[in-house]
Amino acid sequence: MKRAGLRVRVIAGFAAGALALSATMALVSFQVVRQSLLDERERTAVRAAYYDASVVRAGLGTSRDPDVVAVLRTLDTGENRRALLQRDNEWYARQADTGAAVAVPPELQRRAAEGVPSVQRVRADGTPTLVVAVPLSESVVFYEVDSLRELEHTLSVLTVVLTLVAVSTAFLGAGLGWYASRYVLRPLRRVADAAEEIAGGASKYRLDPAAEPDLGRLTTSFNHMVDELSTRLERDRRFAADVSHELRSPLQTLAAAVSVLERRRDQLDDRTATAAGLVSAEVARFQQLVNDLLELSRGDRPAERVPVDLPELAGQVCRERGVDPAIVDAAPGGPWCVDRRLVGQLLGNLLDNARAYGGGAVAVRLRLSDGVGTIEVDDEGPGVSPEDKPLIFDRFVRGRSAGARADTAGTGLGLALVAQHAAAHGGTATVTDRPGGGARFRVDLPGCTP
Amino acid sequence: MSAVLVIEDDDRIRLSLVLALEDEGYAATGAPTAEEGLAAQRRSPADTVLVDLMLPGIDGFECIRQLRRSDDVPIVVISARDDTHDIVAALEAGADDYLVKPVAVKELTARLRALRRRARVALAAEVPVLAFGDLEISPEAGEVRLRGEPVAVTRTEFQLLCELAEHPGRVLSRQQLLQRVWGYDGGDERLVDVHVGRLRQKIEDGAGAPRRLVTVRGLGYKLQR
Repeated sequence: MKRAGLRVRVIAGFAAGALALSATMALVSFQVVRQSLLDERERTAVRAAYYDASVVRAGLGTSRDPDVVAVLRTLDTGENRRALLQRDNEWYARQADTGAAVAVPPELQRRAAEGVPSVQRVRADGTPTLVVAVPLSESVVFYEVDSLRELEHTLSVLTVVLTLVAVSTAFLGAGLGWYASRYVLRPLRRVADAAEEIAGGASKYRLDPAAEPDLGRLTTSFNHMVDELSTRLERDRRFAADVSHELRSPLQTLAAAVSVLERRRDQLDDRTATAAGLVSAEVARFQQLVNDLLELSRGDRPAERVPVDLPELAGQVCRERGVDPAIVDAAPGGPWCVDRRLVGQLLGNLLDNARAYGGGAVAVRLRLSDGVGTIEVDDEGPGVSPEDKPLIFDRFVRGRSAGARADTAGTGLGLALVAQHAAAHGGTATVTDRPGGGARFRVDLPGCTP
Repeated sequence: MSAVLVIEDDDRIRLSLVLALEDEGYAATGAPTAEEGLAAQRRSPADTVLVDLMLPGIDGFECIRQLRRSDDVPIVVISARDDTHDIVAALEAGADDYLVKPVAVKELTARLRALRRRARVALAAEVPVLAFGDLEISPEAGEVRLRGEPVAVTRTEFQLLCELAEHPGRVLSRQQLLQRVWGYDGGDERLVDVHVGRLRQKIEDGAGAPRRLVTVRGLGYKLQR
């Protein structure tokens, strides 16, 4: 499973923390409020019951055989309270509904019979109820059954409110987490921006250690790393330049001396002339090899894009190599925004490759659509074997396909440069089979419309 | 016979170039330092000078500047350095062309021939003076005048100006100019850009936007009437 990002984790943490805190607060305050409301309610109920009991006692005391129901009717009990009287195990109520007696739990009756006044909360007909028992004499007990429905309603409203508060606190926590993570990650984003800048070629870009004191170590080591890197790059570049100079100077002597030899070839005896021819050919190849190697060592340079008339360039590259420019098939369109030198070399290398391994190019197609320029070079050779396809753009890989042992004039770097020049434009180079036999090399160059 | 001076500190390169150029029918002489080269050029001016950039004492860039001060002789740089920075600096110093070592002798002689060619303008016979406002170009006399005052331009700059003047108001692409002025079929476009820059210093007024020799973005250059 993919690990969640730091940002997501911070937000989730803040939300969970806020939820836990607010839920605990809500639970505690609910309990406290509930308890105090219940206690208050119970005290009120008991006070009312004692008052009513004293009224009933007075009413019963006035005659020898009093009308119990009438006495109960004199009580002002309101809607929520119902008064009951138990005398000699017989129940009396104001109305005929002695059904309320069912609500009186036996435990309470037993204790009342022993002359102990008591209070108990029970659930009767699905509603919470408070029963208060007040013994009047040995055989008479006055009960009051008090409905707690209103209190329950109040508490359920309170529950809803507290839940809402807890949930919104969690959301608030998440928001705070989002803000905090953004704030905390901002210096890291600056580091990321700097890294991008440097990767994009701004090698002079450095972070200011004073800007983020908390990230002092990161900025220092980041800057140190960039310094190291650019020193190393500079050293490599210098090395390439030095090698270039050291190899090119003797090659210049060779090139000029070989031309003197070539000019006098007919004055030489056969053996010397053959040897001079070999030297001349190898000097040419060595020269190409040095140029290709230097080109490869400069691979990190981005393409310098300018508008280029590609059909014109392709025709010119063909002419330079003695290839009929008529094989260039270009769809009409504006100029391509590419590095002229790189694309010219890329085209030349594809043509050279076709000549060395595929009997010469038979078609060069140029297409430009949606900003992606596509170059295809076809040959009618034996094609590229499936096992060679993934390797063919590597350095020093030469075709081993059936019967096409490499023309020894190649450097083995031509297609590697094709791939590198395509990559310098953010593009790709691939090889497929040409319908009808042969190989088809294809280069896609994005961003070709200005 | 055309005379070529080779200023190159590497003895073997110098000797081989002199031999090869002599084979091609040039009267070639060599100089191992810029100082000796400059002295030789003062004594008996060659028609073309080949200069290496890394020279002991006075370096190639300074050597080009000093040659340019007294002469419009075509100067070709032959260097092992192929940094854009070096190429542009050498061209800005006044070089007419830049070749990266190793150069095939055939290629070198092709460049020398192209630079030696006289500015040839088709209209020259009929129109002695091409006027672009207060800028006057006389192809026959090889003269450029700005508000009547003669402007010192090199041979290459003059030919570049004539090519543009031949097509007043029309855009010539860098590749077309490379072909017509330097004889390149597909060369380095920086050659054109740097030479245009040098020309502008001579025929434009101040550092503002060019009025006469204007850039047409993505297409090339044109000379404004």
